[in-house]
Amino acid sequence: MLRNKTVGAGLAVLASTVLIAGCDGWMGETSGEVDITAMSADELADHLVLETDSYRFEQEAQEGGSARDRMVQDGIQAACSIEGDPDSGTAGEVIAMARESYEEPPGGPRLGNWRRGAELARSGYGYRIGHRNDDHGTREAGGNCYACHQMDPAEELYGTLGPSLAGYGATRGNDSSVVNYVHQVVSNPHQYFPCTKMPRFGRNNFLSEEQIAHVMAYLLDPDSPVNQ
Amino acid sequence: MFKKALLALPVAMAVGAAAQAGEWQDPNDVLQNLLQNNPDSKYLHQSEMNIMMMPDNPALWLVEEGEDLFYAQRGPNNVSLEGCDFGKGPGELDGAYVELPRYFEDTDKVMDFEQRLVHCMKELQGFTSDDAAVGQRHGNGSDIMKLTTYIAHQSSGMAWNPPLDHPQEQAMRDAGEKLFFRRGGAMDFNCASCHGDSGKQIRASVLPQMRDGQEWTKAVSWPAHRAGHDNVRSQNHRIRGCVWQMRHAGIKHDTPVNTALISFWNDAARGEPAILPDLKR
Repeated sequence: MLRNKTVGAGLAVLASTVLIAGCDGWMGETSGEVDITAMSADELADHLVLETDSYRFEQEAQEGGSARDRMVQDGIQAACSIEGDPDSGTAGEVIAMARESYEEPPGGPRLGNWRRGAELARSGYGYRIGHRNDDHGTREAGGNCYACHQMDPAEELYGTLGPSLAGYGATRGNDSSVVNYVHQVVSNPHQYFPCTKMPRFGRNNFLSEEQIAHVMAYLLDPDSPVNQ
Repeated sequence: MFKKALLALPVAMAVGAAAQAGEWQDPNDVLQNLLQNNPDSKYLHQSEMNIMMMPDNPALWLVEEGEDLFYAQRGPNNVSLEGCDFGKGPGELDGAYVELPRYFEDTDKVMDFEQRLVHCMKELQGFTSDDAAVGQRHGNGSDIMKLTTYIAHQSSGMAWNPPLDHPQEQAMRDAGEKLFFRRGGAMDFNCASCHGDSGKQIRASVLPQMRDGQEWTKAVSWPAHRAGHDNVRSQNHRIRGCVWQMRHAGIKHDTPVNTALISFWNDAARGEPAILPDLKR
């Protein structure tokens, strides 16, 4: 169902591209042909996003592709466009989609350099477009972990949208089952937390596998300040 | 003109506000009432400095400049904006800002405030998109922000009340709600990622909860002097900034997505008094 919806939306985009190109109409209509009151709220929301020239879709996205690609939902994004927690059916579908799309890095998950991980955890740079586009050629994108999580207990500025991760490795150790689990959560967290707010850093190619290894070291390395 | 006289006498203004409950109120009085009614809201109480500065809100300078611009004969057609209908009749500004977006017969569409203002500057005064008067949307020096702040100020203390009588108004509000929860972009975020829970912080900033009307009225009370930017900002500017931080595609002004989001925003604050202009971090 969810997959079908995504595919349908994608086709609608293709079909409407030609119309938009030569049209300065407000609703993307050619001459008032679109009746917004005849659509469901979901249909109208998709229509507004994809077919009314409301976004700077022609811009390139740093991860490749165009800005438009960012606004065409995949299955997990579509299923999780809800208020509050998913019902059990939706949660099950989301977990299945997340498992299906999870990729283990070549050679298996590993820990990198916690010092590099600390830099990545603090940096909120990267992937912003529309105006003042982030230039990944001049500055590396970060994971922005501190926007939502406490990590190093000595760091005073941290968000609370996600749980505290202070002492994360100190209480869990870092054997292979822990390392594998943390990679699954950082890369594609919906496997364990369906419809979580947390980004899919691996699945979305937001962080490279090398960067994820560094962030994991920041969380799990016994020498990391997170575990002091 | 009446309001301008009051602006010069802030003490008289505060006294006057108390005498007309439900009518126009000084923005600082609106804020103080919200703070008193919500002693436990971390969002509303997060910045003592801004609360202290509120009576001297730098945005009030733009109110005065905006009033001069509104009544000045300008543009190629050399007319004032007194002929502009923001929904309550030509030149009728009292309460107009909190009853937007709304459906306009002359354009057969739902328009948000900024869109309507630009429409009037083009249609009545004859400005074109190439003119800085309508092209420059942000910053204290822009005509748009001066006019926005003056016109919005005429609705301070009045309850958000965007009309939903016309089917298009209801459709845009309902689509705006879906857009609020529509996840996308490189980080899979929707608006509720940050505005779904009470008292949560992103780094040091406490975030407003959309379903808490008393937090949300402050959240959507733009124009506001944004201390961190040292500029007065609009609802549109806030949307643009959120979309940028969410790693969605860049949003354009005067577009249906923008209008639908504002339709929902203002509806979510329905019944709560607007702080116009506000002062934010």
